[in-house]
Amino acid sequence: MKVKVITALLLAAAAASAAALLLQRGGAPSPTARITRDGVLLEEIALDQVGQPYTLTLEEEGGSNTVQVEKGRIRVSEADCPDQICVNQGWISGGAVPIVCLPHRLMIEIVGGGGGLDGAAG
Amino acid sequence: MRRRICTALLALGLLALAGCQKAPEPVEFTTFAMDTVMNFTLYGEKKQAVDTVKPLLAGGVSALEKILSATEEGSDIARLNRRGTGGVGAETAEVLAKALELCEATGGALDITAYPAVKAWGFTQEEHRVPSPAELEALAEKIDYAAVKLEGGAVSLPEGVEMDLGAVAKGWAGDLLAEAVRANGISSALLDLGQSTITAVGAKPDGSPWRVGVVDPARPGACFAVVELEDMAMGTSGGYQRYFEQDGEIYWHILDPDTAAPARSGLASVTVASPSAFLCDGLSTALFVMGLEDGAQFWRDHPELDFEVVFVTEDGEIYRTAGLEGRFSLAEGYEDREVVVLE
Repeated sequence: MKVKVITALLLAAAAASAAALLLQRGGAPSPTARITRDGVLLEEIALDQVGQPYTLTLEEEGGSNTVQVEKGRIRVSEADCPDQICVNQGWISGGAVPIVCLPHRLMIEIVGGGGGLDGAAG
Repeated sequence: MRRRICTALLALGLLALAGCQKAPEPVEFTTFAMDTVMNFTLYGEKKQAVDTVKPLLAGGVSALEKILSATEEGSDIARLNRRGTGGVGAETAEVLAKALELCEATGGALDITAYPAVKAWGFTQEEHRVPSPAELEALAEKIDYAAVKLEGGAVSLPEGVEMDLGAVAKGWAGDLLAEAVRANGISSALLDLGQSTITAVGAKPDGSPWRVGVVDPARPGACFAVVELEDMAMGTSGGYQRYFEQDGEIYWHILDPDTAAPARSGLASVTVASPSAFLCDGLSTALFVMGLEDGAQFWRDHPELDFEVVFVTEDGEIYRTAGLEGRFSLAEGYEDREVVVLE
């Protein structure tokens, strides 16, 4: 009797572990663009839910960046920073390379969506 | 019977442990320093260790910047550039000694005295201009790392020579921060020092190596390859990282010490992987200046430096050194690209 109870408990525990593991892994989350300035979140955009393309302008004392959003991708289309690195980078749709506008301390990164990279060099 | 119950309970305990053991949550944070944005990812079994290390990393980078940056007025380097002579702190002296060593090892392809040229092109204040050929000739004459005299903590520079540690400072910081992370008992971390340098401490918590992308110089929003890193650093130098366009011509920030003009060696980017972030940082610049052939030969001639390289030419050809076997793969969407292995 005791053995049966223990076996049942063991099975239950195994099932719970499996469920917990599955829940942890979950489905692949959808790619989300996180726009931050100085580490403070300004916008969070679920890129696969974008219908009509649109632009948004992010201003601060130092200057402004115009961000263009389309289904699945995002870019800085215009900026009044001197180096234009953020504009030159073009569209990003995933991966580990964020768009950074250093003069305006603005960063656009894509989280979720897999890609399997932990970071990038370049 | 009792023994059986004990065994069963033990098994149950183990199972429960395995089931509940979540992948540890990383602590991630960002700091703006050294003209770039840095991202740190730390996995710590002990929250306390992470809490100790966090301010150390941000503080360490800004402290280094304050002594090493040529554009930071109060730094050791800026002071030397202004006065031509003076004493520096132990840390600066150590960085300078190591940097000068690397300049020599690379035959001057890396040269920390190109600062007047960097300024003339306007890369420090982002007010770009193209200097005249005569001006470039005069600037190139003043680029000579061998003219820097370093004795203990005393440094002297000849008239007109100015230093810039931009090609090695981030790498130096990467090694220092990795050391701080390890010293605090954190065995898994990824320190992304922005744009050029990334350092992996240990492997990921699940034991697999960190997977770090290499940016496609033709499409800087994407990665063309993945390099697996474990207790290794990686650094990239590429023309696309900082440049300006004038009259249809592109001028980038990596200057050839021989000409004081942008280095046009036929390469679009060079990525170096090595246990030393300092070496990754400095060598990626030097190999970019050397070009594919000389760069590959340098790799063959210096096995003692313990580094591997990925070259991308301006035509988009990919070359990698043999030592990356098993650690290098093409990224999604680039699987059909040819990779030439350098032996």
